[in-house]
Amino acid sequence: MPVPWEALIPFGLVTTMFAAAGTLLNVSKRAQNQGKPSRFHLDSWDEMMMDRDKRLTGHIRGQTSNTTAPEGFETSSVWYTERAY
Amino acid sequence: MSRYHDPSESSQPYKDPTPLPDNVPKVQELGTTSAPLKSAAFFLGAYCKDYNDDFMLCKAENRDPEHCLKEGRRVTRCAIDLISKMRDSCMQEFEQHWTCLEKNNQEYYPCRKPERALNKCMFEKFGLAKVIPGSPEGKTPIHDVQKPIYTGVQK
Repeated sequence: MPVPWEALIPFGLVTTMFAAAGTLLNVSKRAQNQGKPSRFHLDSWDEMMMDRDKRLTGHIRGQTSNTTAPEGFETSSVWYTERAY
Repeated sequence: MSRYHDPSESSQPYKDPTPLPDNVPKVQELGTTSAPLKSAAFFLGAYCKDYNDDFMLCKAENRDPEHCLKEGRRVTRCAIDLISKMRDSCMQEFEQHWTCLEKNNQEYYPCRKPERALNKCMFEKFGLAKVIPGSPEGKTPIHDVQKPIYTGVQK
């Protein structure tokens, strides 16, 4: 008896769409985070440190263990101009 | 002709128009980012304890930034000293630990294996051990537990 394989096409399509959407989302997240998984559950401390990382390396996920800060690091902090609530 | 230029849209990084005056001694700022600092955190606590305590007590007296500049410079110099020493002697283990932290939302619990290697290297070279202040008496500290309940998902 012939198997109704046409009925399985929608299942295949839905699975492929799920996989494509999931992969695209994952690739997009990793591309935004320099190939690393994205950070979650961030509090003000983490945001402050990520802003400091951006001043040191140019990207919020950039990391370096150099002990010398780049030129202009001492004067690039916006902290003093932020509004005190 | 001349429209308003919002400073947040500028292409140059922010430059503070009122830097520190010249009578304040200059100190080399620490250029280490968050993950290596988190990796070295307990060793900074052990090695620079005196300077850190001085700074905290000074801040507890008076929150004014000008009051604690000297203690702050000492903390910065001590941190630079320790991180340079760590890079000189334990570069491999240090690098592996902080790259592991970066991949795991900068949390300690999935990275116990590189952490043990780093602790061993630091203890051999400098005699610094990781001690978690405030951990319950009598129980093994969480970083020494061999079979913890909460581990990372295996990738």
